[in-house]
This record gives sequence, C-alpha cells and structure tokens, in this order.
Amino acid sequence: MESRLLRVNLTTGELKSEAIPHQLFERWIGGSGINNWLMWEHFLTHDINCDPRGPDNIFVFGVGPLAGTGAGSGIKGRITFKSPCYGIFGDSAGGGKFPYMVRFSGYEYIAITGRAPKPVYLHICNEEAMLLDASHLWGKDTAETHALLQKEHGTWPSKTHTLTISQAGENQVGIAGVVSDALRIHARCGGGAVMGSKNLKAIAVQGNGGLPVARPKDMLSWSDDFRKKLDSNEAVYGFKRRGTLGAVEMYQHIGSHFWRNNQGNMFRGDEIRSDNWVKKYQKYSEVCSSDCFIACDSKYKIDGTESETAKKYIGETFRRPEYLTTGSAAGALDLRDWSEVAHWGKITNDYGIDNQDLSCSISFLMELKQRDLISDRDVAELFGHEQELRWGNMEDVEACVESVVFQKNTFGQLFRDGPYFGALKYSEIKGQNFMKYAMYGKGGASFTEEMRPFPTWMNNMAVASRGADHLKGIGLIEKFQRKDLSKKYFNGRTEAADLSTPLLKGACTALVENQVALLNSYGVCLFHWMLDPGGYTPQDYYGKAFAAITGIDRTPEELMRDGERICNLEKAINSRIGLRREHDTVCERWMWEPTEEGMYPGKVAADMFNTVLDEYYEWRGWEKDSGLQTRAKLTELGLDDVAEVLAQDRALA
Amino acid sequence: MTAITQIEMVTGAVRYAPGEEVPNVAKKLFALRNQCTECNVCEIACALAHSPDGTVNPQLARLRIDHAPEKPSKINPLGIGFIAEICHHCGNPPPCAEVCPTDAFYYDPETRAAVIEQDNCIQCMECVPGCPFDVVFVAPSGELLKCDLCGGEPVCVKACSTRPEMLNEGKQYNRLPVLFFEDQPEFNRISKQIIEKRDEIGLMQAMLERGEISSSA
Amino acid sequence: MITVHTQFHSHFREVAATARDSFELDEPLVSELAQRITDKYGAKMKALLIDPDTNELNERGTMFVDTKGRRISIEDTLNDGETITFLVGIAGG
Repeated sequence: MESRLLRVNLTTGELKSEAIPHQLFERWIGGSGINNWLMWEHFLTHDINCDPRGPDNIFVFGVGPLAGTGAGSGIKGRITFKSPCYGIFGDSAGGGKFPYMVRFSGYEYIAITGRAPKPVYLHICNEEAMLLDASHLWGKDTAETHALLQKEHGTWPSKTHTLTISQAGENQVGIAGVVSDALRIHARCGGGAVMGSKNLKAIAVQGNGGLPVARPKDMLSWSDDFRKKLDSNEAVYGFKRRGTLGAVEMYQHIGSHFWRNNQGNMFRGDEIRSDNWVKKYQKYSEVCSSDCFIACDSKYKIDGTESETAKKYIGETFRRPEYLTTGSAAGALDLRDWSEVAHWGKITNDYGIDNQDLSCSISFLMELKQRDLISDRDVAELFGHEQELRWGNMEDVEACVESVVFQKNTFGQLFRDGPYFGALKYSEIKGQNFMKYAMYGKGGASFTEEMRPFPTWMNNMAVASRGADHLKGIGLIEKFQRKDLSKKYFNGRTEAADLSTPLLKGACTALVENQVALLNSYGVCLFHWMLDPGGYTPQDYYGKAFAAITGIDRTPEELMRDGERICNLEKAINSRIGLRREHDTVCERWMWEPTEEGMYPGKVAADMFNTVLDEYYEWRGWEKDSGLQTRAKLTELGLDDVAEVLAQDRALA
Repeated sequence: MTAITQIEMVTGAVRYAPGEEVPNVAKKLFALRNQCTECNVCEIACALAHSPDGTVNPQLARLRIDHAPEKPSKINPLGIGFIAEICHHCGNPPPCAEVCPTDAFYYDPETRAAVIEQDNCIQCMECVPGCPFDVVFVAPSGELLKCDLCGGEPVCVKACSTRPEMLNEGKQYNRLPVLFFEDQPEFNRISKQIIEKRDEIGLMQAMLERGEISSSA
Repeated sequence: MITVHTQFHSHFREVAATARDSFELDEPLVSELAQRITDKYGAKMKALLIDPDTNELNERGTMFVDTKGRRISIEDTLNDGETITFLVGIAGG
C-alpha cells in the first residue's frame, strides 16, 4: 500500500508531492488515522496553542483505503484540523462524490497550511495541482461555487467534484462546515472557518488514474458477500427508502428528541413523522455517495400540494432531511411542518453551517425570551432592529441564521462559535448567568438529542475527542438494548444493553470508539456497520476487505489495537492543548434537570455520570483523577514517541 | 448483411467459418433508466474484474453511469435521473464490429458477445462513433473498451444492489434493479407482472410505454 | 389465551400497511406473536422480523419494545393486554 500526499503551503504558494510509505498504513490504517498523524506531526514543529484561525493551523483532507475500491460500503472523506470554535482537536466526515474523485486524482491526502494572500482555490487533476484565483467565487454560497467550478473545469479527464465553503466560512464563523459537491456537509468542528481563514475557497478535483488493489479477486468476492448480507435484511430496504428519518418514530416513542432547547423530549403535533414525509413529498433523484450499496439519500422537490406552509417553497429542491436536521428543526426550534424542516436543511447546507450548534444557539435565545429573561429591547440590541423570537417561526429562524452566516449583528458575532461561547459572552455582557439554558457537552459543542436517560450517550457527549458528539463512540448497544452484542463483547454480561445501570457504559464507549476509529480509518460509512452485516465487527469482517486492498493481514485483536492507537493519538492532541478530566463534562440542564416526559422520565445525567466516566478511563487505561494517558498504556500501543512529547508538555499522567 | 470474418479465438479454436452467420447473444443485459442511484459500484466492479494488474480505475470500465438523456417525466420532473450506459449487444455482427477495418472483433464462444482483440486493434476509433448507443469507450491509454459480458457472469449485474420494491406509497417512486440479466428472477417477475397484472404495476407499464425503461433488446 | 396489541412504525407500518393490530395468542410467547405476525403479513414482514441465520428476532436495524420500553427477544413471555411497538433501530444523520 502506497499513497500520495499533497502538501500545500498557502503562504508561499508551494505545492509538494510526497509518498506516504507503507509503514504509515501499518501503523495508522489510513483515513482519519493518517489525518491525525499528519496533524500530530505538524504540531511538533508548530505551536499547538496557536490561533486555529491563524496560518499555523493545519487542514488535512484524507480518504481511507476502502473508499472507491468496489467494497460497496460507502465513502467518507475526512477533514482534520484544530477546531476554531471549540479550540480542541477537530475533524468531520462527509460523503458524496468528492472523496471518490480524490482517490482517482493522484492524491489521497491533502495537507494545507499557511494563509494565502488573496482568495484562491486548489485544483488537482491527475497529480497536477494548482492554486488558482478565487476572487470570482468569493461571496458565493456552496451551490453557486460548485456550479461555477464544474462549468470551469468541465468533464475531461473526468467530471469535476468540489469541496467548498460558503459565506459563513469566508466570514470565519466558527461553526461553518465544508461542503462536498454542494450536497454533503462536513459540518462539525468548523472546518469552513479554517478554510476561510486560509483564504481557501474550494478544492476541485478531477482524475482518471487508477488505484492499486492488492488482491482484486478477494475484493470482488468480499464485496459480493457484503452485498448479499445487506440484501438479506429487509430493514436495509426501509433504510434505503427513509434514511435516518425512519428513526423519528422510534425517538418519539422512547422520548429521545430535543424539543425547544431540550425543555422536552418529544415532538409536538403529528406532522413530523417519516410516514408523512414518504407519503407527501416528491422524490426525483438519488444523491448517493459513490461505492455504496445502500444509497440512503435522495433529492426532493416541493410542488405545493404537501401542506399550506409548503406553498411558500414551491419549486425548491433539497436532500431529504436527515434525523439530526429534523432533530434540530422540529426539535430544538419546534418547526412543525416538513417543508420548513426541509427548508432549514437546505439553507444550512447552502450556507455550509453546522445545524446542531446553530439551532442550539437560536433555541438558547428563544428560551431566554420565552422565560422573559430578556426583553424585546435586549433582542433589538442583539439584532440591530426589532426582532421577534417565536418558537417554530421560520422567519425568525431565518433572521437568526443570516445573522450568524453574514456576521450581520451582535447576535451573529456572539454566537459564531456556538451556544456555549455565545451564552458565556452574553451572560458577561448582561451581568447575568444564563448558562443554565446553554445546551452543550465537551468543548462547548452541542447536540440536538435527549441524552439524560442514556448513560453511554451522555458519556459520548462528555469524552468525544472532537467535542460533544455521538459519532465517535455511538452507543447503539445501549439505546437499542442489544443484549446479544453486550454478551459478545463483555464475556456474556448484558449490562451494556441495560439503561438502568451505569455498569459497562464507559466500557461500551471505549470499545465502540475503537471500532469507529477503525471504520473512519478505512474511509467507509458508519451506517453499513450499524445495519450490521457480519455481526457488528469492523475489526473482523471489514478487516478482510482491508487486507484484500492493502495486503496488510491483521487479526481482529490487532485491528482493535490499531483503533485504540488512533483514539489515543486524538486524546494526546487534546491533552497537549490542555484538556483534563474537568473538560469531560456536559451542560447543567443535562447534568441536573430531570427529564419530564418520554419513556424514561425523572432522569438526570448526574445519577451515573461519574461512575461511567471512571469506568471509561479505567477501560482506556488512563488515569482517573487527571484524565490523562499513562506511559504504560502508550508504550503498550507502541506510542513511546507520543508519550515523550506528552511528558515534555507535562500532559502525561 | 455481410458477416465479418471470424478470427481465431485466443484459445485457438475457430467457432465460425468465414462468411458464416454468427448467432446473436442469447442472454442480454437489461438496464432501467432513471432508477440508477449513481453509486458507481458497477463501474468499479467492472474495472476491477477487467484490471490487468490489480489497479482499479472506473475510467477503464466497460459501462458508464451518466445523467439520463431523458426529457422530464412524472417520476423525474427535472429529467436528471441516472442511467447505466451499457452495451446493447446488438444483433451479430454488431455495428461496432462491422466498421472495424482490421477485423479486431471476435465472438466469445460462451456468450457470443463481440469482444475486441486488443492485439489487432489499431485504435483508429472507428467503432466509437460506429456504436449507435455510444457505449464503446476509450480508456485514458487509448485502448478501446467494450462489454464482454464477463464470459457469462457479468460482475456489474452482481454488483447492482438496487432490487425491486413494488411498494408504491405516496409520491415515492419504486426502486427497481437497474442492471440485470434477462434470465434473472427479477426480470422474469417484472415482465410477468407487466403482462399479467397491468394495474398493480401501472407505473412500470407507463414507464415502458413512455420509453423510460429501456431493455437492451 | 391472551390479547397482545401491536404498533407498527416507519418501515414496519409500510410493510404491514397498518399502524395497529391485535393478536389473540394461545401461549403468551414472543415466538408465537412473531409467528402470527409473519403468517398474517407475509414474506416481507418475515424478512424484516426474523433473522434467517439465527431464526431469532432480527436485531439489525430494528427495535421491538414492550410497554415499559424494554427490548423484547424471542424467548420472552408476554402479559395480557401488552402493547409491543415495532420500530426502526437507527440513529444519527
């Protein structure tokens, strides 16, 4: 396995092509593992406490070895950088055609540093890379930028695929994401602000080169088997039709939504159900990631017959809302019509901004207004004009979105890094403590799902390396009460699937974090794994595909160790930045305010929080009091070099 | 129709005497328009299966996924669905072979598909415009690429995972298999239903009538 | 004999073409309920409900819970008047 890395120094305009040697794949698998390593190496020679919006930050794009090789398990590209909104390790995955095309362009990894003197974009075509003037693209949203770039570069030697930022990224809004082909957003952690701060508007790729596959016959037969496994499960067809939207009913049933800034956990009204979406909305096209057997995503168009509200949006086209788009719109903001939820998804996508942090910023302010903690005059001061803040009112919501994207007014400026930092600054300005109403977890990142009854999920929110997030150690064993998996991984014990006990919850996070790190390093989509072909084992079943492509044969135990090594490097980056146990925490409402409805009322995170966190550190082999890594654990994982650096920074237990 | 001269097979066996009529391909591929999700798995699988050195490159595939050149229709109001562009395996000898100045085409003994003998091909590209369906492709190296039915078990068909779903609720169009062999159960089922139960799959029927579904025949 | 109510959501509702149903069971067993449901709603429901490899309830991408929100499995027993809800088990996005 060999791969190429393109190093771009935007300050000098220097472009350098490097080979990534086989040993690096042996150690870091690929994808996010290699991205993390490139970031780690960069911060050995640059100040890790630099301003994330400054030229010293690094922005890495990478795709893993399984992507685009016919595995059929979906493609996810990954961006890695120091997060401008949370100030910690940041990364984000995204699908679409961009990561697929990157693999045929000659480079699988792109590391960008410095800052361009004027707006530029990077064009890569069959190993030839160029920085081109982007002044004509500046000020355009992601859809327009993508269309212009596609037109400019045409279809030879291949179609052009792009990674772009919108005005939000240009304005260095901390919660701005990066959008692949104007459809798929790398939303978390503010990659858009990093690109914006570097004056890099877009990356456009083309290519018709090939990729080496070590054992093509093995790959074809693995892929055949994988597809058969997916095809034999009828639930996969449900997922093809509805995507994650199918979860709305389940979340409503158990009380896992995030209603009005999590004052409740169930949607009000009957409209926001996946059944209604399927019945009423006109699908006209798929918009899939390449190399994916499932194809869960589609494009829709509003014709005005769906509902009264939908008449406002006749002719509008968008992707089907995902669960979290719905959770933020119908939940956090209480929008009650599907067309509005879809419209919310469309504008956040076109503006390339994280709808989790954005919706929680808006719902924070709406709750202050609802409780009369701020007056109309206070709101007018924030917006520079009179502004209503009504739950479920799309006009008010749009005014808030534009304030943030275009940095129009005080509200936009205060909340450019999400609700936590916004609430802190606003509390200071008003001389009042509003933090009780800010919803966030680690790093100040927010998430629009009810967490309190679910100890593993709460633990995810507190420990995820990139700030509160469920994708790092997703607690499906617990939420779906998978006793079978609990038994499989924990010597016949079933507690990981039992919501009523803190036992094995931290262990479950540690286990799944390692598995997810592996999947992210393969460069595949997590949903194939959630639908569980081959028994929920990225280290086992997927390991065979990894071997067929790279020629690296690993036992499942070795691969789990590889996953653990990748997680430990992410942790080490955060430890160097100064994160300790006290940073692994969640907001007041989750911690102390009991749930009032849903299937699990009366729950607070504090019930189990510390027990679970202790157990997590224990399973990780980290020290409990400081939350820091131990030399013994790092040595065991072959990370002595990392331990040395941590010791120098006094970030080792 | 003049049959082209049959060259010796790679195996050395001569199947058809010069001037003899070559039988047509018995099992043809069937591709549905607009139902494709552009997942590109068929392209990758094809490239992988035909890869001489283990390199996978979709530009070396013998089929392409492209925007459907359809006019807007009910299920595809913007006319932007996708279509698998694949060899129609026209009656033998096919137009691509007929225009070949070097007789570089031969017939696979199993499937009777016309296949390009790369050693005899002078890359004059005559077959590219010669193909009425634009499905003879040019590799980046200049090599001409044409579907050879993988000797009878096309990997693209295996790789196409969209399968028939006859539920039709609300405004969701049905997802159907895009690529399949005519003797596959899906094909038989669909064609049987089209004949027997016109009302149940009226959508399918309407699509056929409007030409939104194409078969290779 | 006991009566058990069922609620179907998302893909289950689509396959069953109904949101609610009731079954009278001779034995208060999940296995009997599963059998009755697949008998009534056919092959597609069976593919959704039963894992062909293990013959147990399909755990992949699904979620079946009782009135108290506990996941049921094939060997469980049922109470008279219980409502079992059939849901899609997927998260995220």
